[in-house]
Amino acid sequence: MTAASAWSWRALRLAPPLLPLLPALVWLPVLLLLPGLSHGGGWDLIGQFAGAAFKPSLDPLVLSSAFTGLGVTVGIALLGWALSLVLGLVGGVLSSRTVWRTATGSALPAECIRRLLAVPRAVHELLWGLLLLQLLGLQPVVAVLAITIPYAALVARVVSDLLDALPTAGLEGLRLAGAPAGPALLTALGPALQPGVISYGGYRLECALRSATLLGVFGLGGLGTDLRLTLQSLQFRELWSGLWMLLLVMLVLEALLRVLRQRWGMPARFGLSRRSVGRGGREVVLGALLLLPLLVLVAVALGVNPLQLGQLQPLPPWTADWPAVAALPWPALIGSTLALTLLAAALAVGSAPLLLLLMAPWPWGRALMQAIWALGRLWPPPLTALLLLFVLQPGVLTAALALGFHNLGILGRLLLEAEEAAPLQAEEALAAAGAGPRLALLYGRFSALARSYLAYGAYRADVILRETVVVGLVGAAGLGSLLLEALSSFAIDQLIALVAVYVLLTLMGEDLSDRLRRRLLAA
Amino acid sequence: MTSSPDHPLLELRSIRLPGRTAPRLDDVSLQLRPGERVALVGPSGAGKSSLLAVANGLLRPEAGEVLWNGVAPARSRRRRRRQQALIGTLWQDLRLIEELTVQQNLNAARLGRWGWPRALLNLMLPLETAANTAVLARVDLSADLLEQPVTALSGGQRQRLALARLLRQEPLLLLADEPLAHLDPRLARELLALLLAQASGRRALLLSLHRPDLLDGFDRVVALRQGRVVLDAAPSALAGPQLAALYRSEP
Repeated sequence: MTAASAWSWRALRLAPPLLPLLPALVWLPVLLLLPGLSHGGGWDLIGQFAGAAFKPSLDPLVLSSAFTGLGVTVGIALLGWALSLVLGLVGGVLSSRTVWRTATGSALPAECIRRLLAVPRAVHELLWGLLLLQLLGLQPVVAVLAITIPYAALVARVVSDLLDALPTAGLEGLRLAGAPAGPALLTALGPALQPGVISYGGYRLECALRSATLLGVFGLGGLGTDLRLTLQSLQFRELWSGLWMLLLVMLVLEALLRVLRQRWGMPARFGLSRRSVGRGGREVVLGALLLLPLLVLVAVALGVNPLQLGQLQPLPPWTADWPAVAALPWPALIGSTLALTLLAAALAVGSAPLLLLLMAPWPWGRALMQAIWALGRLWPPPLTALLLLFVLQPGVLTAALALGFHNLGILGRLLLEAEEAAPLQAEEALAAAGAGPRLALLYGRFSALARSYLAYGAYRADVILRETVVVGLVGAAGLGSLLLEALSSFAIDQLIALVAVYVLLTLMGEDLSDRLRRRLLAA
Repeated sequence: MTSSPDHPLLELRSIRLPGRTAPRLDDVSLQLRPGERVALVGPSGAGKSSLLAVANGLLRPEAGEVLWNGVAPARSRRRRRRQQALIGTLWQDLRLIEELTVQQNLNAARLGRWGWPRALLNLMLPLETAANTAVLARVDLSADLLEQPVTALSGGQRQRLALARLLRQEPLLLLADEPLAHLDPRLARELLALLLAQASGRRALLLSLHRPDLLDGFDRVVALRQGRVVLDAAPSALAGPQLAALYRSEP
C-alpha cells in the first residue's frame, strides 16, 4: 500500500539519520572525475607500498634510526603540548568574560584579548614552523614553538569558553560573602573547570603527536623527515618500519588517554554523555608532577635551548613590490582554497558514517576500517598527497583526497566513540522486529547522534581550511601552494599578504562554522 | 487450551539464562498457542523481562531451546530477519525514535520487510500514510499527529504510538514488557483492552504485569519466582494464598 499520490517535492524533508550521510554524495562527482585525473602508471608503486606494510625492514640500522626519529618526534610533541597547556590556561583565564567581570566589573578586556588570540590560532602550526625556521634557523626549539603558539591560543579559547559556560551562582555567593576576586574564582570555578580541561588537554597531546610528525615531513626534525625521505626514494620497507612504530605509539597513547578519561570520570569529547564529574584529583596532580621531570629530561635530550631564541638569523634583503602582490589571481586562489576545504570536509564528514553503516554486519570489516582510520589519523596528509601523485595528477581533487583521508581518520574515531555512547535500546528494538543490522543502526542510533556529529563536522571544516596549507606541495591547490613557494623564495611581501588572507579566511570560516554549529545544536 | 493443529507460536524448552549470582532463568518451559493470551506475573527480579528477551531473540539462553512457530532461530541472517519480523515487542521504555516523526516511527516497524529504497525514502517523504492512519485510529490517535515529531507527544500518546507501531509491524507473536507500569488506572485498562483485542485468530499475546487485579481477560497465567515457573494455570488459580506466596519476601 503506497500513497504515491501524496509524494511531492514540497514534502521532501530529510530526517536526522540521513544528514550525516548527505556529504557523502560528493563521492559521485569525485568518482566521475577520478579517471580523468589518473595518469596511468604508478599503480605498481602503490602496490609495492601496500605490500611493504607486511614486510617492514628489520635492518638494525634502519630500526635504530627510526627509533631515534620517533624519540625526537615524541619529545617535540610532549614539550610543545606541555608549554601550550600552561600558556593556554593563562590565556584562557585572561580571555574569560566571567573572570574580568568579577575582577574589574567589565568584560571588555576579555573581548580584546579574545580577538588578539584569534590571530595565532588562525595560522597553522606548519606555517609557524616554516616562519620560525626563517627567523631562528634549524633547531629543535622551532618545532616546539611551532606547536606551542597555535595550540596555546586554541587551548585558551576552549578554557575561556568552558569558564564562561559555568554557572556563576556559586561565584556570586562567595563574592557576596566578601571573598576577594582571586580566591573566589579559584574556589568556585576551579574544580568545575578541571575535568573539561584535562579531557581536552589529553586530546591535544594526540594532536601534538600528529603535528610533530607533520613538522618533520617539512624538515623540522624527527621521524616525519625519515618518512618523507624514504617515501621519495621509494624505500617502502624502511618507511613502514618507522610507520609501524609511530602507529604503535599513537594507539598506545590513545588507549592510555581513554583509560585515564574513564578512570577520572572526564567527559568524552563529543559531549553526548554528560555525566562528567571529575574524580581522582590526587592522581591528576601526581601525574602532572611526574610529568615535570620527564619534560626537563626531554628538553635536555633534544637540546632545546631557550637562549637561542634571542639569536635571530639575518634575513636576506627584500624589496616590497605591492602592485605585483595585488596582481596575483586572488579570486582564483581563494576560490580553489575554499573548494579544497569543502571537498575535503565533505569527503571526511560523509565517508565516516557511510563506512560505519556499510561495515555494520561484519565485525572484521569494522576492525579493518578502524585500522585504516588509525593510519589516516597518523599519516601526514602531505605524504598521502605524495602517494596519490604516483597515480593522480596534482590538483585540488588530489589534495582534497589527501586531506579528506586524514580527517576521516579523526572524524571516524569520534563517530565510533559517539556511537558507543549513544543509547542502544532503539537499535535493539528495531533488530528484534526484523530490521537488518545496517537499517537498525541508521534508524536506531544515527538519529540520536546526527546533530552533534554534524556540529563537530562543522568545527572540523574550519580546521581543514587552516590545514589546506599542508597539502600545498601537491601544487595548483590554492593559497597553500603559493605560500610554500613564497616561503622558499623569500618573497616576503607575498608571504605577508598570503598569511593575512589566510588569517582573514580562517577567522571568517571560524565564525561561519560557529554559527552553523550553534544552529545544529539548538534545533 | 485450544487444540490448534498448528505448532505453538512460541515454545521455550528448559531455558537457562545465567546471572551474576543466581541464574536469571532456570529450567523455564512455556508454550504459547495461536489465539492465546498469557499473563506473566511475579515479583521484581523474578525474570519476567529476561524471559521476554529470550522469547524475542534479544538474549540467547545458555541452555534450552527456543522455537518460533516450531522452528529454531535461523542461522542465516536473512531467514532470521523474516522470523524476527513476526515477533513484535512492546517495550517497557517504549523505544520510540525521538528524532523522527510519528509516521517515520510507524514505518520503522516495517523495516524487517522493506528493502533499502523504501527505508531511505521513509526518511525523506511521507510514506504509506493510509496504513499509518488506520493503525493510529485503532489506538484512538488522530491522523493529524502523523507529521509531528515524537517529542511533541504526551506520555499517554507515546504509549499509544508504541502500541500502534507494534500493530503496524503485523506480528504473530506479541510480547509486552510491563506496558501498564507507569499508567493511571483508566489508561492501563484501555491499553490492556486494546492489547487483548489484538490476540485473536492466529495471533498470541504474552504480557508481563505487576497487577493481579488486571488478569480477567487472560486465558492463562504463568508465575515466575527466582527464575523458575511456579504456576502455569487459569487466572482463577492465582487466588489469595498463592498470590501471597508468590510475592512474599525471600526467607
